[in-house]
Amino acid sequence: MNRLNVLLIDDEPERVQALKEALHSLGHYVVCQLPNTTHLNKRVEDTHPDIVIIDMDSPNRDTLESMSTMSKNNPRPIIFFAEQQNDRKTMCDAINAGVSAYIADGLQPERVKAIMDTAIAHFDAHSSLRAELEKAKTQLADRKVIEKAKGMLMKHQGCDEKQAFETLRKLAMDRGQKLPDVAQSVIDVLELTNGLRK
Amino acid sequence: MSELLTVEKNKLKLGFVALLDCAPLVVAREKGFFEKYNLNVVLCKEASWASIRDKVSFGLYDGAHMLAPMPLAATLGLNGNKTAMLTALSLSQNGTAITLSKEFHTLLSKTIDNWEDDKLVGEQFKKQVKSSSVKPVMATVYPYSNHYYQLRYWLEQHGIDAEHDVQLIAVPPTQMIPSLSNGAIDGYCVGEPWNSLALIQKIGGLLTTGHKIWGAHTEKVLGVTQEWAAAYPNTHQALVKALYEACQWVEDINNKEELYQLLALPPYLDQAATKLSDYTPPLAMEQHFAGATVNIPDPKQGIFILEQMKQCGQLSNQEADFSEISHSVYRHDLFQHWIS
Repeated sequence: MNRLNVLLIDDEPERVQALKEALHSLGHYVVCQLPNTTHLNKRVEDTHPDIVIIDMDSPNRDTLESMSTMSKNNPRPIIFFAEQQNDRKTMCDAINAGVSAYIADGLQPERVKAIMDTAIAHFDAHSSLRAELEKAKTQLADRKVIEKAKGMLMKHQGCDEKQAFETLRKLAMDRGQKLPDVAQSVIDVLELTNGLRK
Repeated sequence: MSELLTVEKNKLKLGFVALLDCAPLVVAREKGFFEKYNLNVVLCKEASWASIRDKVSFGLYDGAHMLAPMPLAATLGLNGNKTAMLTALSLSQNGTAITLSKEFHTLLSKTIDNWEDDKLVGEQFKKQVKSSSVKPVMATVYPYSNHYYQLRYWLEQHGIDAEHDVQLIAVPPTQMIPSLSNGAIDGYCVGEPWNSLALIQKIGGLLTTGHKIWGAHTEKVLGVTQEWAAAYPNTHQALVKALYEACQWVEDINNKEELYQLLALPPYLDQAATKLSDYTPPLAMEQHFAGATVNIPDPKQGIFILEQMKQCGQLSNQEADFSEISHSVYRHDLFQHWIS
């Protein structure tokens, strides 16, 4: 039987779900997925994972690395993925994707590799999705800031929309700043002066 | 003033963990010491030492705020891929301690009238541990750290078996205080601010300090890979000089208030940092960032750390020349050459 027990530690629900399904379809079993927990030590002892896949940004990475060195009585010591693999390319891909893994000592490297490749692909896909979402959000926020600054300038200077926009653009060029940043500082300044007048 | 170095690379990324001793990096950036040496540095906060090691090993970061044992462990290839690292600057000395839960500390206080008397403290701790039916759970963060070695050193020094008399576990730093207050652990050995914060919140009591256990010792260093140091010698020199000057600034008592304000900025620690500015713990932590022997990497310190690794069973199958390894990692020669 090729089925491996995978423990997934990640607090991004969508990524957990997608990766869990992908590993299931490879014939593996995801033991449990849990967000960061204070009882990690016990969970790992209880579930005996063959492989632990963990978000690179999780503080629990240090806890997992400690487990292999601190408890000599641990029946199945887990080791850092890099120790077994000697595979710089996969390690690099994993770090760039933001995923890291710990495996039961003695597990065949090629079995781990397939799981890692799947995890890397899912973490990559998730981060590009997130980057796009962030970009869209920022663009929307930027537009709102610029609109607000224009409105305040129009009121303050008694000018039209086109002139207000030109003023912002000139300020941005003079200062070598981005338009949304200039818009924000215009809002800050005008709000402050309005506040002082009152 | 010395002439400005021509740096090979002026945009750098340095990793750090949100602890009090990341102060030299924060100050070098916020007070313009990096700028003075024509360095444009981005500081990247990491949640684990494992990620610091990996991101420096694989070149995502140019260097990092590292635990003193880390460049040695990486060079030996312990727990991770083998990457030769070095340090040309120690960032801080001391600053660790062992804190016990309020209940445990109160219990021991019945028979300990002077917490400075380490012999008495050790005897009473041992007596309590041997007579108790449940093993106290003691936590540390990371296995290749002074904290872990100091905890084991102190226990063994007082005849307490780290394998059988207590249970050692690992817990992330941010979970230490909640775990101590909800009874999941009975004590921990960590770096500042996590001891002082437990004391200020009155959920823990101080057992002893790293300084009392070992005397003065290197706690954090600037770690880079040997490959990086060879490729960017001037950049490395500029980085060491900027951070060395920042260390002097941090140590200056007149800057204390401003220092805590800088550390409280969102990308670094958080508002908790400001609570520390006027707090004095009952046993002195002796945390220093500058002084005669503070900043020079000392190969003798490196050898001492390697001995601790061996003592804790981390070097079981390695026949290593401690002196040779330590001299290749703790580069006092570079420091002496650059800082006059």
